[in-house]
Amino acid sequence: MNPASLNLPIKSISQEVATRSSIFAVCFCFLFSIAPHFRNLPIWVSLLVLLALGWRSLENIGKLGPFPKWLLVLLVLIGGIGVFAEYWTIVGRDAGLALLTVMTSLKFLESRRHRDMLILVFLCYFLIATHFLFSQSLIIASLMFATLIVITMTLVILNQREENILFRDLLNTGIRLVLLSIPLMLILFILVPRVPGPLWGLTSEQRGGITGLSDQMSPGKISNLILSNEVAFRVDFKGSIPAQSKLYWRGPVMARYNGYRWSQELRKGMRRLSVNASDSSIEYTVTLEPNGEPWLLALDIPSKLTRHSVMTEDYQIINKKKINDLLRYTIESRLDYQIGLNESRDYLALTLEYPDILNPETVALGKSLAARFERSEDIVNEVLKMFREEEFFYTLKPPVLGKNVVDEFLFGSRRGFCEHYAGSFALLMRAAGIPARIVTGYQGGEYNRVGNYLIVRQSDAHAWTEVWIENQGWLRVDPTAAVSPDRIEQGIDSALSDEISGFRIRNQNPIFGNLLYSWDNLQHGWNDWVLNYDQRKQMNFLSQLELGIENWSDMVFAMVFLLLSVTGLYWFIAWYRERPPKPAAYEILFNRLLKKLSRRGFHKGPAEDTRHFLLRITQRDFPQRELLAKIVELYNRIKYGRQASSQSALRDMRSMIDSIRT
Amino acid sequence: MLSAALPRPIRRYFDNWFDARNPPSRDAIVLHNRRLYILPTRFGYLFAMMLLLLFFAAINYQNSMAFILTFMLTSLGIISLWHTHKNLLGITVRLQIPRPVFSGETCELKFEVSHANQSRRFAIGIQYAGEAPVYLRLEPAGSTVAKLKIPAARRGQFKPAGITVFTRYPTGLFHAWGWLKFDLPILIYPRPAARVKLQHSMVEQYDGQVSTSTIEGDDFAGLREHREGESLRHISWKAYAQGRGLLTKTFQGQARPTFWIDWEQLNEGSLEDKLSFMTALVLAAENQEQKYGLRLPGTAIEQDFGNAHKHICLQALATFRQTDLNQELELEPC
Repeated sequence: MNPASLNLPIKSISQEVATRSSIFAVCFCFLFSIAPHFRNLPIWVSLLVLLALGWRSLENIGKLGPFPKWLLVLLVLIGGIGVFAEYWTIVGRDAGLALLTVMTSLKFLESRRHRDMLILVFLCYFLIATHFLFSQSLIIASLMFATLIVITMTLVILNQREENILFRDLLNTGIRLVLLSIPLMLILFILVPRVPGPLWGLTSEQRGGITGLSDQMSPGKISNLILSNEVAFRVDFKGSIPAQSKLYWRGPVMARYNGYRWSQELRKGMRRLSVNASDSSIEYTVTLEPNGEPWLLALDIPSKLTRHSVMTEDYQIINKKKINDLLRYTIESRLDYQIGLNESRDYLALTLEYPDILNPETVALGKSLAARFERSEDIVNEVLKMFREEEFFYTLKPPVLGKNVVDEFLFGSRRGFCEHYAGSFALLMRAAGIPARIVTGYQGGEYNRVGNYLIVRQSDAHAWTEVWIENQGWLRVDPTAAVSPDRIEQGIDSALSDEISGFRIRNQNPIFGNLLYSWDNLQHGWNDWVLNYDQRKQMNFLSQLELGIENWSDMVFAMVFLLLSVTGLYWFIAWYRERPPKPAAYEILFNRLLKKLSRRGFHKGPAEDTRHFLLRITQRDFPQRELLAKIVELYNRIKYGRQASSQSALRDMRSMIDSIRT
Repeated sequence: MLSAALPRPIRRYFDNWFDARNPPSRDAIVLHNRRLYILPTRFGYLFAMMLLLLFFAAINYQNSMAFILTFMLTSLGIISLWHTHKNLLGITVRLQIPRPVFSGETCELKFEVSHANQSRRFAIGIQYAGEAPVYLRLEPAGSTVAKLKIPAARRGQFKPAGITVFTRYPTGLFHAWGWLKFDLPILIYPRPAARVKLQHSMVEQYDGQVSTSTIEGDDFAGLREHREGESLRHISWKAYAQGRGLLTKTFQGQARPTFWIDWEQLNEGSLEDKLSFMTALVLAAENQEQKYGLRLPGTAIEQDFGNAHKHICLQALATFRQTDLNQELELEPC
């Protein structure tokens, strides 16, 4: 009976006091894991982290005593209240992170044991996940990969149980563990059956600092956006990419006007679209960066919708949810179209409204145009001619204007950006009795020659107008094109090449340009293959492989099979590399001799010296005593002698051993 | 911990199963697959719970990177299961024959741990019951000696039980272990009683008037060859310096009294007290270099002196009326 047989001696091991090096390692590990979060945390939380780690490190080298218990309790209370005061909640992404950080930092101040250190390391693993709630970019992912190695190395330090650990050994083990995990991770990533989420309700977290289009337009709003070089979305076309001047990406449509600001009038209902039969539809896939709004961008004008979205009567696509994560959708558009032929009277009346008291000069000009021309087309052309032929300038730095913005712009400064031109044009049209509205979105895009797709940046943000003409419906008129044809035909960078610098780098230096395009291509692939790998993509990918993996059970079977194969391969390689060296030929021969002797009843003790063993045998009455002495002498000469074991010596040894009788 | 929760028949079944797979060894124990066990530690279970939490969070937020992290950590768990097992597999442990100790002292067990593989092994622990473990590392094809201190609480002959060789390297998520059951008994002498004098009332004086050469006496008698166990005080260093080897000076005189340390002569005290007392007498007699013999019910050891004689006497005292000579060492941890 063995009463201790199932008692695992677990308790006492984790109760051991943590070594000094392991405490330092865990402090460093935590700092490494939390540092990228400092920009997401209130400043006092970051300071608390540094205080706790600083104190613990100084305590570790004996410069400070243990942190006072009462102060610790006080800090826990203050920390909890502080987080609540900061966010007015303690759940949710931001408050949860702050609370986790505060409590982990304070845990450091009272951690002494091996067990505490292990728990802290696990918290660091958990912290990695929290980073992905803020960003899943390639850069964050790379940083987190490095963090994973650091944490794993820390775990190895904790379990190596030595005070002086060679960094080389540590790096070796840590990196090996992580690298060996990658193939298994890929198998799991590809084959673990995905379920569509969410499993429970999500509190939608307002994301700060996201740049993008707004639901309102006033002078200065879009030109702020232009300065941001961030990617708004990327587009893969199924066929060829249409000409730059046709790339109008339709976003929020604004029909309401208060004399200064344009805003949306959302109408959900029937849409009618008449298209030119000769025009074929364009299919493309948009990978939209999070914009915190529900708008999807589509090429003017969308003809086939994506799932989970609706189209308004203004041909604007609205997603069911706000886009807080990367969204990928495939959609179709027609470039030659007619819309709004049967527009409602109410809506047309709305698109003719403007406040009487503002911008009197513009209104007067509009009214005089209406008196001069009968046809709406002529009025439109007259205004465009004015923009084209008179001294109007397209610039990012227009002067600040006063109360009658449009008057001051049209008859004063004449320097403005797309929103100035679109806004003043629409007002002129309305004054002239032509229904007009503003469309915001993006115009153009940058072709990535490395990855053959289009990059649309925030700097491509644009505003244009649509006017309604009897029997023709809503027609797109872009007054900016009249002022600065370059803007529409070649893009924002060339139109404003003096004011924006990115263009020159990408296009004038081909090597650096290619490098930038390759990097963007990498990010695009990352978005496409990693971040968008959901249930649908998984099924598509697996059916493309044509391995007959069609359902859950196939996937699980394939997964288990691959996991076993890869670990089996690992096992074999490790076994092969670490196997004991093959004994030398003379040792094998000598072992044969020993076996022969033991068959005759002479056993060499486990620790017995060869010479002593031989002496013991020769003291007995052993008939082939001389032969045995010769063999041992030869063995010793081969083993310890200077000359390498020559083939002839080995042959001699073998023949002598063969002649030992058993 | 685990076994206590199980019903007795199941526990017995498990224990028998363990014993059958782990026969005690006189020589070396090689930790091959049959002798190796591996289970998650409580941190392993905690880790698994964290993975589950991460997995559900990843599904809920449809966050690809959270999926990747979950799968990465799962893979790390699989890899560390293999590494922890590999870290112990193929190790050879040999117990050096333990030296006898007195009850109340600590017994030092020396384990020779070695392997033939071309790998480095870290953080291999050897642990007795709930005591603090000792850790060691092995270089490629290397060997090292681990010393484990075990409190010797009771006299007798014991086989060390409940000693494990284990590892949690590299991640601490798994605990791999093997049982070290050796067929090499530890001999624990009775604890010697304090303040014992060789008193005539307790010691039967042997009426020998034989005049003999002894190392203690009045008149120098000559030199004879040095015997192992004799005090260095009596060596003729002069002769040694002359290159004649180790010689002991002998003296002619009246022989010292010789003794019988006799169980029957002792009346008071329990069995253990008596044995303690007799142990102390053996040590005192040996110290004074007197010839002594030992009489226990059923046993008698002829008069002699020297280390070997002392050991025979103490062994007889240690195992006296010990019912099971091969009983396993189950001592209360301090």
